[in-house]
Amino acid sequence: MIRARGRATSRSDSLLLLACLVLSAAVIALPDAWSQSLAKVVRDTVLSPLLWVQRQAEEGRTSRSRFQAVQAERDSAALASQSVAALTAENARLRALLDLRARTASTSVPAEVLHQTAPTEGRTLLLSVGAATGVRAGDPVVTPEGLLGVLVSVGTQSAVAMTWAHPDFRVSAVTADGSVLGIVVPSTSTDASQAFLEFRGVAYRDTVATGTLVLTSGLGGVYPKGVPIGRVVGVRSEELGWERIYRMAPLANPGHVAHALVVRTPAIAGPVP
Amino acid sequence: MSPRRWDGRIYLGFVLLVTLHFYVRPRIFDGRAAPDFLFVALMVIAVRARPGLAAVAGFLVGMISDVLTPASLGAGALAHTVVAYTAAWGRAVFFPDNLLVNAGLFAGGVWVRNAIVLLASGTPSEQLSNGLLVWAPLQALSTAVAGMVLLMLFRDWFAIRLEA
Repeated sequence: MIRARGRATSRSDSLLLLACLVLSAAVIALPDAWSQSLAKVVRDTVLSPLLWVQRQAEEGRTSRSRFQAVQAERDSAALASQSVAALTAENARLRALLDLRARTASTSVPAEVLHQTAPTEGRTLLLSVGAATGVRAGDPVVTPEGLLGVLVSVGTQSAVAMTWAHPDFRVSAVTADGSVLGIVVPSTSTDASQAFLEFRGVAYRDTVATGTLVLTSGLGGVYPKGVPIGRVVGVRSEELGWERIYRMAPLANPGHVAHALVVRTPAIAGPVP
Repeated sequence: MSPRRWDGRIYLGFVLLVTLHFYVRPRIFDGRAAPDFLFVALMVIAVRARPGLAAVAGFLVGMISDVLTPASLGAGALAHTVVAYTAAWGRAVFFPDNLLVNAGLFAGGVWVRNAIVLLASGTPSEQLSNGLLVWAPLQALSTAVAGMVLLMLFRDWFAIRLEA
């Protein structure tokens, strides 16, 4: 058979394909720490100009379309903050009465979310904050709606957050009234319409009503206490009569979020009451 | 040597696609169904280059995608390599200068790319079906439409020119 010149697949083409496939497989097999370091180096060097361009675009878009919303939120926050001084003073008096030390203060750093087009977008998010702002791996990421995830890698100009949609995500949680403790994990349901969270480890004797707000418990030292995670929407399963697993609708949506706050957690010497 | 000539204007086309991907897309259409202009650029390369070079280009574009969305580093490189090589190899059976053929190439390529990425990154079953049946077709459609519009607007830049 006579092949048209330039259309045939030569041995060099096959070798290049094989080399690329082997390299891809090798990169997939890298340990997480290595792959995160490799990605961070590439982001901070080769892709730095492109990320700068995207950051400018995100800031340009959000500064226009979200100005009014931010202004309204600021007005609401200013109204609500009028009672903060009195509450703070009351809290300080009560802590003094109970001989408790002052609560550790945490600060936050605002970040733009740089959305990408990969199908795994949402499991991880690229944020426009770097190490210069003081954030570090392990810092929680929140939105006005609720908990979004945690930083897993911090470069000089960008950071990667693992969201609640990532299969490895775990957070210690408690119901809003503080009566039921458990662990929140991404749903493992096989139904595509149930891409939710699960509230696991709830003792069989405890019942959580539909609509109950679930917050971070603060246990474990990664996430601050009291950040909303989601609302219970029903019972997913009961494990042999000793545990109930509840289905939860998350409050923050990684697919649509444009802004996030990285909570800078200071080094804690001991447990905070 | 490839029988397809690389005109200087095609490099301008690549600059345009990169600008669209990193500057225009975030300002206008930022979501999981957003058109993937880097993938369009990869397909433009793939139908002009030899399969081996297309595979290398796919690997590089895939690594960029992985580095920016590091849920599973290497999955994007694998997917883009396979899709780009197949597109370059497949031009022996179709002539990719037709607008609808190009649209089909963009749409089919995005869907296959997403399927490989989701499978290679160990996606849980509920996210897999959601990704394959909802988001991948939407992104394939948006990429195909965006690619067709670009090919129509910049026909001269992206036209395949055979050597004399």
